[in-house]
Amino acid sequence: MKKVGQWSAEEVSHWLSEEGMQEYGDSLQQADGPALLRLTPDDFLTPPLSLVSSDTGRQLLERLETLRIEHHIEEHQKNGHANGHGRLPNGTAKPLRKGSLGLNGFRKEMVQIPIPMLEAERSGFPQEWGKTGVAFLYAVCCFVTTTVVISVVHERVPAKEHNPPLPDKFFDIFDRVEWAFSICEINGMLLVSLWLLQWTLLKYRSIIIRRFFFIVGTLYLYRCVTMYITTLPVPGMHFQCSPKLFGNWEVQMRRIIKLIAGGGLSITGSHTMCGDYLYSGHTVILTLSYLFIKEYSPKRFWWYHWFCWTLSAVGIFCILLAHDHYTVDVVVAYFITTRLFWWYHTMANQQALKETSQSNPFSRVWWFRLFQYFEGNVKGIVPRNYQLPCSWRSSPWSHGVKYSKVDTQ
Amino acid sequence: MALVDPTASHLDPGMDGESGVLASVFGALPNANCPKHGQNTPEDTKRCLRKVIGHHRDYVKISLPDAKGNRLPTEWWKTAIAFFYAIFNLVLTTVVITVVHERVPEKENSPPLPDKFFDYIDRVKWAFTVTEINGMLLVGIWVIQWLFLRYKSIAGRRFFFLIGTLYLYRCVTMYITTLPVPGNHFTCAPKLYGDSHAKMQRVLTLISGGGLSITGSHLMCGDFLYSGHTVMLTLTYLFIKEYSPRTFWWYHLMCWLLAAVGVVCILVAHEHYSVDVVVAYFITSRLFWWYHTMANVQALRCSPNNYLTNTWWNPVFNFFERNVQTQVPCSFCWPITWPPACLKNSCKKYSAVQSLREE
Repeated sequence: MKKVGQWSAEEVSHWLSEEGMQEYGDSLQQADGPALLRLTPDDFLTPPLSLVSSDTGRQLLERLETLRIEHHIEEHQKNGHANGHGRLPNGTAKPLRKGSLGLNGFRKEMVQIPIPMLEAERSGFPQEWGKTGVAFLYAVCCFVTTTVVISVVHERVPAKEHNPPLPDKFFDIFDRVEWAFSICEINGMLLVSLWLLQWTLLKYRSIIIRRFFFIVGTLYLYRCVTMYITTLPVPGMHFQCSPKLFGNWEVQMRRIIKLIAGGGLSITGSHTMCGDYLYSGHTVILTLSYLFIKEYSPKRFWWYHWFCWTLSAVGIFCILLAHDHYTVDVVVAYFITTRLFWWYHTMANQQALKETSQSNPFSRVWWFRLFQYFEGNVKGIVPRNYQLPCSWRSSPWSHGVKYSKVDTQ
Repeated sequence: MALVDPTASHLDPGMDGESGVLASVFGALPNANCPKHGQNTPEDTKRCLRKVIGHHRDYVKISLPDAKGNRLPTEWWKTAIAFFYAIFNLVLTTVVITVVHERVPEKENSPPLPDKFFDYIDRVKWAFTVTEINGMLLVGIWVIQWLFLRYKSIAGRRFFFLIGTLYLYRCVTMYITTLPVPGNHFTCAPKLYGDSHAKMQRVLTLISGGGLSITGSHLMCGDFLYSGHTVMLTLTYLFIKEYSPRTFWWYHLMCWLLAAVGVVCILVAHEHYSVDVVVAYFITSRLFWWYHTMANVQALRCSPNNYLTNTWWNPVFNFFERNVQTQVPCSFCWPITWPPACLKNSCKKYSAVQSLREE
């Protein structure tokens, strides 16, 4: 739009009718831009303008001022001014810039509104590796506690002959398949590696892995409790449990370290202890890594999600097929894992749920303070942004990723 | 050239209401269409405003929805559906108990499993009676409180839904794996291999006795994971606490004691394994809080990242709670009078947080 000072008479009347001030159309028919700008309140007190104006021209003058200010700002932007002005010097008619407010020598105080430079990532999603370290320690603590509890519970498992395997509906229908548990463990290892690989590509690594550590730690903590209070007998006669070491601490410690080193997997030969049935740790890992993979990857990768889902489902089915856990162990593990995951993520995504209040029942859960500590500074939903871990900024791959509109939010 | 005086009050952004903005403008109105008076009354100003508004096309009318619309409709028919759902699940549980009873291993073949609580605390015979009395007391108190609630249908609907779902989950866990009896004191009724008629009798006995041992209806074994008594105790306590005034701390404390003593006595009586009780408490409390968060936190309903909707019962929840648009306020009415006479300000003292959210 041209500057007001260069408007012709038609443009002036066009502008007047657009602004809803047609009543001035006739009297200002001959006025062009500069004439418009020269209008003063006194002009509205004498005919012909006083006859048509209902407010002594206040509205028109207001609009004119707005126009002047807009143009003034445009001029200043063109000339590299980012912020507003300070006070204009009183009464100086010196034009500061081309087409500035110095036209009428008119005095207008402009207010500087400082706009803070927002760095969205820094304010919304701080990395806070310290908190991630705390979460990591928490998870490690829970893992070690689980291992110790398994070792303790092992001493209490009733002998196979004394307490035969409990009746289980799945075992009635499906007979045991020997190699099935290896499939389950291979699937588990695949899923965990996929998840870790995916994690290294995420931008907000610290926040996400903190959540993973916290959830895994809590699930294993719950598992310690349920394993310890009631000991289920072995699910099948095929189990070879290590002999019991009544009170021999040194050998027990060695067993614990061996279990930790092998990751609790049978494939690595570290899991020779019995009694850790309710609930199934393998199910927890399979379900949780699938949930995390799905949550923090683009929605478009449906084939990837399906692949991981199949890995997870087959793995869980194979646990039961191998008669390595009771059905109730697997069902309870699935239930607890999914509920905790969804609960945590809903709380993390909703600001209203991060506060303790009567209308927030979620705040009554025992880990709420820990949650507030971890997620206190995370404002909003963590966007699924990706970034290569090393500083390969100039790598061509980092420019080739296309996002949907939702992802880039 | 005269200077434009920019200090007119109409530029002040702190004006309240449209009448303030333009009243100053129209204060000196020489020959507008508005009637001339010595003083412009507010009514005149508003009338002038409307004319000028139409003329200047500056203002847009924003019609606000009627805030006084019914945000808590009673919808008793939905409560009836929830009631039938709960009844169906209770009957299903009874049937499953009967089926599972046939599969419980004999005490001699499968002795009771090692349990940490049983190692420390020996069995006390009369403890289970205490549990059942507490349970009946709590249910009675909840029913009385429910009668006095103003929004009975909504609270009742939630109670039936939660009870039904918890018993449904219980059917699943009882059925898939059968735990042996927790103690040698159990006298289980003999197994009826295939005798359907007798099984039906048993089912009816169990239903009519409410599943309680006191009434002599509960002679069957196998329903251990997870404990239905714990579910009842916990759920009635949670409901009593949720739908009563926040200031009745003595009432809440009393009910909490009833529930806690009841739960501990289950274990003291060696009637359930510890894991049964722990899992029952966990599932009950989580489900209760989950449901109520979904129902009360309105921001969640429009949020796209609401993972709480990933449960299988989410469509049922939507059906029940679709028209409930706010947290059920704590208000009580006399149950018998018609029209219902409700107590004004029955829950008087609120914290500041709560009173902002209630109407």
